[in-house]
This record gives sequence, C-alpha cells and structure tokens, in this order.
Amino acid sequence: MIRYLARRLLSLALTLLVASVVIFLIIEVVPGDTASLMLGVNADEETRLALREELGLDVSKPVRYFNWVSGMLTGDFGISYTYRTPVSEMIADRMMVSFPLALYALALSTLIAFPAGIIAATKRGSFSDVSIMGVTQLGVAIPNFWFAMILVTIFAIKLRWFSAGGFPGWEVGFFAGLKSLTLPAFALALPQASILARVMRSSLLDTLGEDFIRTARAKGLSARQALWGHALRNALIPVLTIIGLQFSFLLAGAIIIENIFFLPGLGRMIFQAITQRDLIVVESVVMLLVFAVVAVTFLVDVAYAVVDPRLRRRV
Amino acid sequence: MSLLTVQDLRVSIGGNSILTDIDLSVDAGKVLGIVGESGSGKSMTAYSIMRLLPDGSEMNGKVILDGTELTALSEEQMCRVRGRQIGMVFQEPMTALNPLHTIGDQIAETVKMHTKTGRSEARRITLDTLRRVELPPEEFPPSRYPHELSGGQRQRVVIAMAIALRPQLLIADEPTTALDVTTQAQLLNLLKRLVDDDQMGLVLISHDLAVIASTADDIAVMRNGVVVESGSTDEVFNHMQHPYTRELMKASAHVPEKLAPTAEIASPLLIVKDLVRDYKVPRKGFFDKVSYFRAVDQVSFTIHRGENVGLVGESGCGKSTLTRAILGLEDIQGGSVSLDGEFVIAKDAMSLSSRRKMQVVFQDPYGSFNPRHTVGRLVAEPLHALAIQPDRAAREKAVNAVLARVGLQTADSKKYIHEFSGGQRQRIAIARALINRPSLIILDEAVSALDVSIRAQILDLLVELAASDDIAYLFISHDLSVVRSFTERVMVMKDGRIVEEGETEKVFRSPEHPYTKSLIAAAPKTPSVAY
Amino acid sequence: MRRRRNLVIGALLCVLFIAAALVSFVWTPFDVISLDIANKLKTPGGEHWFGTDHFGRDILSMIMVGARTSIAVALVAVGIGMVLGVPLGLFAAASRGTLLDELIMRGNDLIFAFPALLIAILITAVLGPSAVNAIIAIGIFNIPVFARLTRAAALSLWERDYILSARVAGKSKLRISAEHILPNLLNLLIVQGTIQFSLGVLAEAGLSYVGLGAQPPTPSWGRMLAESQTMFSFAPHLAIFPGLAIVFTVLGLNLFGDGLRDYFDPRLRHNRHDETPEAIVNDERVS
Repeated sequence: MIRYLARRLLSLALTLLVASVVIFLIIEVVPGDTASLMLGVNADEETRLALREELGLDVSKPVRYFNWVSGMLTGDFGISYTYRTPVSEMIADRMMVSFPLALYALALSTLIAFPAGIIAATKRGSFSDVSIMGVTQLGVAIPNFWFAMILVTIFAIKLRWFSAGGFPGWEVGFFAGLKSLTLPAFALALPQASILARVMRSSLLDTLGEDFIRTARAKGLSARQALWGHALRNALIPVLTIIGLQFSFLLAGAIIIENIFFLPGLGRMIFQAITQRDLIVVESVVMLLVFAVVAVTFLVDVAYAVVDPRLRRRV
Repeated sequence: MSLLTVQDLRVSIGGNSILTDIDLSVDAGKVLGIVGESGSGKSMTAYSIMRLLPDGSEMNGKVILDGTELTALSEEQMCRVRGRQIGMVFQEPMTALNPLHTIGDQIAETVKMHTKTGRSEARRITLDTLRRVELPPEEFPPSRYPHELSGGQRQRVVIAMAIALRPQLLIADEPTTALDVTTQAQLLNLLKRLVDDDQMGLVLISHDLAVIASTADDIAVMRNGVVVESGSTDEVFNHMQHPYTRELMKASAHVPEKLAPTAEIASPLLIVKDLVRDYKVPRKGFFDKVSYFRAVDQVSFTIHRGENVGLVGESGCGKSTLTRAILGLEDIQGGSVSLDGEFVIAKDAMSLSSRRKMQVVFQDPYGSFNPRHTVGRLVAEPLHALAIQPDRAAREKAVNAVLARVGLQTADSKKYIHEFSGGQRQRIAIARALINRPSLIILDEAVSALDVSIRAQILDLLVELAASDDIAYLFISHDLSVVRSFTERVMVMKDGRIVEEGETEKVFRSPEHPYTKSLIAAAPKTPSVAY
Repeated sequence: MRRRRNLVIGALLCVLFIAAALVSFVWTPFDVISLDIANKLKTPGGEHWFGTDHFGRDILSMIMVGARTSIAVALVAVGIGMVLGVPLGLFAAASRGTLLDELIMRGNDLIFAFPALLIAILITAVLGPSAVNAIIAIGIFNIPVFARLTRAAALSLWERDYILSARVAGKSKLRISAEHILPNLLNLLIVQGTIQFSLGVLAEAGLSYVGLGAQPPTPSWGRMLAESQTMFSFAPHLAIFPGLAIVFTVLGLNLFGDGLRDYFDPRLRHNRHDETPEAIVNDERVS
C-alpha cells in the first residue's frame, strides 16, 4: 500500500510541477510591462525600475519561475501588484470562505445523494425511483448560478430566512458564518448531488447483479442484509471517484457562486485580479486551485486503498 | 423417504415457460447428477429449489426438503433454510466471493447468520470448515482475501461457506467447469468425500456427461426445460430410453472418422526450434532489477504436412503465448519458427506469404468477429495477405466457395454475425481460415465453447477439410478426450515446456511423464456403452 | 418503452433549439441590437411573448440569437475535443505500455488538473474575454475526456479475437485502428459527444455569466442572466426565460444522449438498468 501511494504521490507531484510551468508560461505571454501598467504612462524611469525590483521582475524568466515556485513552497506567494500586500495573506483570508463553502456543499451533496441513490436502486422501477431519477435529470440540467438566483429570490427576498449575500466573517460566530454559506452551498450542491445520486444508484445496481451477492443470498442473507453487508461497500468504489472529482469542481464552481452572493472568497478575488491585471494573484490562485484538485485526487487514491484490499498488496 | 423431492415444478419468466413438470428426488448421502446442454434449464432448477429465481419469474409445484414444503415458506423462513439446510456452490469461483472481505469473515458469516454462536466459536467453526475443504488454516489463514487465492482454492472457500453448518443438501451448479482437469478431479473428490462424511445429499449440475457419470448415483437428463430421462447412473447409461440421451452420449464420445494415414512420409511443414518468450515483470520498486517471466521455455517441435497434432496443458502453461508467437504476434527472445522452409520473423516483419499459409480459429464464437462487418467482408479479411489483391468479383467468388465448403449459403455473406448461432459462427471462422488455402490451421480451443452435439459436427467438418485440402492442424485444447479422438500426435505442455510428445494413443495408453500421468488420471471418463 | 420516450423527448427539445438558432439567422420577431427604451421591461404577453429587457429588446428574439452562441460554442468545443482526443486515444491504445502511451496519458492527467473555468480564466487573463476564448477553454477541457474514453474502450477492443485475426492477416496497427477499432467506438463517441455538448452549453452559460464568454452586443444566455440579476425581484421574466432555455437545452441533450446509449447498447436495452457507473463517470467532468 505504501508503495502504491508513493507512486501515486510521485506522479501527482510531477503533474503539479508541469502545471506550474504551464501556468507560468501562459501568464508570461502577456504583453506589456507590469510596472509601467501599474504606474501609468507618466511615471519616471527610476520609479519604474524600483518597482520592478520590489516586485521581483528585474531578473530573467527562469529565475523568476524558480523564485515563484520556491516562494510558494515556503508560503510566500509574492506581492500583489494592485494592493501591494503579500498575496499569501490575501489568499489565506479568502480561503477561509471558499474552502468551507466547497466542503459544506460536498457534505450536502453526499447527504442528499446517498439516501436518494440507495432508495432508487433498491426500489428500482418504483414510483420513488422514477421520481428521484426525474429530479436528478433536472438537477443536472439547471445551471447552478441560475438556481442560486432563484434561491436568493425565494429564501432571501421573499421569505427573508437568509441574507441575500455577504459574509459576516467567522469571528461573528460559527453558525452565523455557516448560515450565510447555506444558500450558496445548496446552489453548488444541487447538480453535484444529482450526479452523485445517479452514480450511486447505477453502481449499486451493478453490484447487486454480481455473483457474490448471489453467494451471499445462498448463505441465507436476506436481500436487505446482502445490500448492507456486501453490496454497499463494493458500490462505493466508483462513487469515491466522483466525490473526488466533485470537490475540485465545487472549488471551481464556487468561483462563480461567490460572485452572486458577494462572498469574499477566492472567486471574487480572481475576477477582481483579472480586471486589475494583477497577474501574480491570478497566477497564484490558479496554482492553488490546481494544487487542491491534485491533492484531492491523492486523497481519493488513499481512500481506494482503504476500501479495496486488492490495492493494498499491489505493487 | 427422499431427502429432497421436487414435484411438478414449473417455472416461467415473463410468460415464457422455462421449466415444465420437473420431478426429481435426492436421498441423503447420494449424488443426483443433472446433465444437459446450455439452455436446458438445469441451473434454473437449482435456483427454483433455493427460491432464488430472478425477478418476474413465476413458480408452481412443490419442493419438499426433509418433510418441509419449501414452496410454502415465506421469504423470511426461506432465508433460514438457505445456508443452514441447503448450501449452494456456483460456477464462477473468481467472482463468487466478495473481493472486499476476508475469506474467514465470509465463511463465519454463514455461521453468524444462522446461529447465536460467539466470536470464538464462530472462528473455531471457520477454521474447522477450512480444514474440511482441505485448505489447512496454517497455509491459508482466514485473514486472506479472495484475490490472493487461485480459482480452485476460491471454489473451496465457496464450498466451505456452503457446508459450514453441515447442511442436509448441497447444490453445486457447474462447480468445476471453470477449472483445470486436475483441479476439477480434486474438487469432485472433495465433494464426494463431504457427501460420505456428512451423509449430505448433493445435486451436481454439469454439461459434462463424463463428470456426472463418474460422480453421480442417479442421473437426470434435461433438455428444453424438461427431464427427458432419469434413473440410477448404471440404468441410464446401459438402457438409454430417450433418443436425446443416446444422441448426447454419442456426441460426447464422438470420434471423427479419420482417413488412413498416407504411407509416404510427409515433409516437415512447421518447425519450431528452441522458442523462448519472456515477459517483463513489473518492477516492485524504483530500484529493483527488472525481472522476467519465461512463458515459453525453449520449445521445439515439428508439424508435418497434413498432420494433426494436439497440444494440451492447463491454464497458464504457456500454450496461448506459444500460439501467438508462432503466429508472429509476439516478440520472441530466442529460437526460431519456420513455415514451409521460410523463417517466420516476429511481429509486423513477418512476410505476407507466411501469413497466407498459416491461419487460426479461436475459441470464442462471439468475440472472433467484428460485429459491424458483413460475413462476406469478415471471411475475406485474410485475402489482405495476398501479394496481388483480387478484384471484387474474385473476392466474392472466393468467399462463396469457402462458405459452401463449410456448409453455409451464398446469401449468408450479406448477413451480420449476430444472426448466426455459436456453431455457425465457428463454421464462419473456419471459412475465414480456409480462404487463403493455408497449409496450417491453428485451432485454439476451437470447439471448447460448443455444446457436444455441435462439437461433433465441427470436428467432422475439420477432418473432412484436412483430407481434401491437405491441411495440418495444431489442435490446442484442455479437453483430453477431444484431443484423444481428434489428433494423431500429441504434445503435453507444462510451465512453458513441452514435457511429453508422442503418438496420441501411445501417450494416452502409457504416459511417461508424471505430469501427463496425473493429467490423464484426472480426466473424467465417459463410460463406454453400447448405443 | 421508457427509453424510447427519452430519445424522442430529447430529440424534440434539441430540434426545437437548433431550429430557433437557425431561424434567427433570417428572422427574429424583433431586432436584438437596436434599443427601444420606450418599451423597456414589458411583461410577457402581447407583442413581446417573453417580454422585453431594460433596453426594450425582445427577450424571445434574444433567446433565439443566444441559442446560436450556445450551440456554436458547445459544438465547436466538442469538435476540438473529438478531433484531437479520439486520435490521441487510438494512438495510446495501439501503442499500449510504450512511452507514447505514457506521454499521452500523463498529458491528459495534466489537463484534468485544470477545471474548464480555470483554463478560461488563464486564457482571459492573457487574451481578454471573448466567445472564441470560451470555445478554446471548453475545447481543451474536452480533449482528455475523449482521449481517455477512446483509449479505455479501444484497449478492451484490442483484446478481442477479431483483432488478432486481422493481425494474422498482416494488417498494420494503424489500419486495424481505422478499420476495426474506430467503427466499433462510434456509438460510444456519439453518445459522449451529446453529453459533452450539453456540458458545453452549461459551461458557455457559466463563462458568459461571469463575463469570460461572448461579449456585448452578441446576445448570450449566460449574459442575459447576469444582466437581469439586479432586476430579478421586480422583473423576474428577464431571468426566467433564458434560464429555462438553458435547462431545456441541457435536459434535451442529456435525454437524447441517454436515449441513444440505450438504443445503441442492446445489453442495456434488454436488461439491468439505465447507465453504467463508468458512463456517468465520463459524463461528469462538469466545470
């Protein structure tokens, strides 16, 4: 198992390395000198050079790449061109919104999807199966930002149960923070829950058709006992893959949703950075999100090894 | 009174009748063999007894076990019967076990399901049961996972799960079909021993008459959902009443009529010399040395023109790799293959003229054809190897000619493969092999997937073609009785080497190598009877 | 029977939107570029079936023209994914276990680490927002989807005996890929194409919504939603109609894809259930 995970870790580290090169190269293509852009046309040469030095732009590109990567490894993401504050501090603040939001949505999606998928699979062809499948079909088709607008109208504007946007900060209180993330989390979770429920149902149905379920029935297990004792854990393997993927997509999807709810997360930050051409921020946030995707992929690999003994002894 | 009685059992699925008026009985300590070809309803009978029929099935009639009418029990009561009073073993040991649970847990589950024993008692029973199925816990601790065991060992675990509580009745549905002959013999012995030890009744289901004949006390022959003949084994074999039983017997023991061997000594056709095929074993760590697995180890043999040579061996012995190497589909690490005096060089460099002379027929009549091409196009594919490509009319003519030779119609060339039965598909495969007028056809388990009656017809066809076209066959099979009846010379392969070679009759009558001896001893024999 | 119903409903919805897009080239109820402030924020009914927006433009007309953008972006993106991804997958499968295979697969992993939105953000940061950039972003994202699917399916086909037969006949790997492998993958690719198409429509809407897609004055559904957001409480029709257009298009494509899959796959048509986990796994590369 250690070897299997070590190999996965190495391969993912390599992916990250190449990804960082790609991101750096793309951003470096941008024409124009950042320092002149920031200072405006009338700035004198001396100030410009000083600013270039301050931003670390006065060295060759390979050196800058190296500085960027080694800086990130030590938690130093550089200095924002616009705000002149360390990017790492900005990111840290914003992460406290984006990350909990993605986790919250993932939890919601799993909590909704598991029972729905299991009910649909065990009562295949029944009214509940057909309705669950119908709702999930619709859930996949609804754009989450549109769903968010509807949620805001109903629950914030009409019913006034939640505020329409903004984030009070965790220091106000955990539940106040959570409450302000509830509508966005639901908006994010709906399509993912629909997908997950479908995967759960189909994977469970596949597993229920396996030979070892028949063997379990021949031992005297009831259909229900066979489901809980044997089918569920086996059915979980493809479901894990999806959960892993979803976390990445929830992080990315949060970029859009944060804009609707005026949440001070990474998404809002990255759009402001694009408009202000604060490329170091764009560069770092994209790298961070790629890192999150890759890290979650690794966690899913670990989960596989825990669930499936066949992987534990493999190479 | 019988242990199990089945009376007037009828089953239909979605309105289609699957079983009609089945009557069976099994005594304690006896083995009832149910034999029949695919689709005869033998497995459905087993599922009916267990009441594990697929959704949408309707079942009528009575199943009585030891005075209890199972057909009258509720599903909940039936759960208490399954695993406790009736155990069941299935065909496919590779998938019959839950891959995520240890074998010990899976055996103990049977115990925990039906008794209120504590953990240590359940463990004691598990260890004891492992011993009863000859998997000594010292060697096969209950903490093993299914993927760490071979097919035969897994099947023993499945049996252990079924007999852990010493049920009165065991149902085994093709329990040895997926296994090699020696493993099959060991498992059949195990089942017989368990029947004797526990005075258990056994229902053994198989398509293989020889397996049934050597194991069962009573036999029921099934066809199209009906028991056509039943009685004690001796009675059935010696006084066959039903024409189908006779036909089945005849087909299983079928010996294709061979022509008298030609007097002149034929010239060598295929010469394989010191052939070696190594596979790279994936490295375990980054710093480990690359290691190799030798699948074919210095194999040498010759096949003469028009000769019919058998190659037998159990799964994993290297016979498939050898076939592919001869066909030029594998890189080889040593030795040579020459056909008709010309060296066959590995892979894509193999000359088209060699390709033309060597053809192959595979086992699976379903996977051997591209489902999107017409039969005409499929059969014409080997023409690619001709130096001058024939025009359309010539192609069509060639296709029609070979189709006629294998007993198919010209109109069949416009059809798609899914419109044909398994036997017809093997005929098409043979037609495809024939189209280039080859001198050698490799038959890779070519009749193994066919029912006995179809198999007999295909074997006859092959013999007929060999005689008229002077074709040599390399007949690869795990089925010793077919090899014995079909080939003139036989080679026995084990662990990548040919351990014995000689005239077929001679090898079968007086095998020399211990492995050949064990192989022949393990093969179930069809009783010889007067037709 | 239910499966055939999926196919029919899906096909009808798809045809409706494609027809709307095509008709918009020659005719729309009203002009979508010129402003008519006098008629702003009309509620649905009368002359304007779906009402008008804050500039007095006809919503129905904008949805028809918007369908053009959605369909064009998604279709071209799927095309990019297929044209580049399928051959890569075929090459990888034909050269299984070699360096080429390894390179292709690692390249796929790399792209998979970037959700489509991130690719779009990177491209926009460099080139500025436009519909073309949206196409490139979604297209790049589609490449590994098709490459992986093709490779996995082709690998299982390479194990078939009929491929061995073709090799025994002396055919090259390239020829076998074209003659035996690709035709047997077509159904699968068409189904996946439909599903990626629907994901493309969603992704385009999302990108336009955040301003990374089609730029004014080109109408697009995503931007219509973005512009209507502040007026949602008093003019909900501005958001409802474009939203429903997206939902029905995506729903139609998904139903059509599912229906096609069942129609093509006799195994699924006759027994078991509607979709395999692998199929959904492949579907769910949502951005």
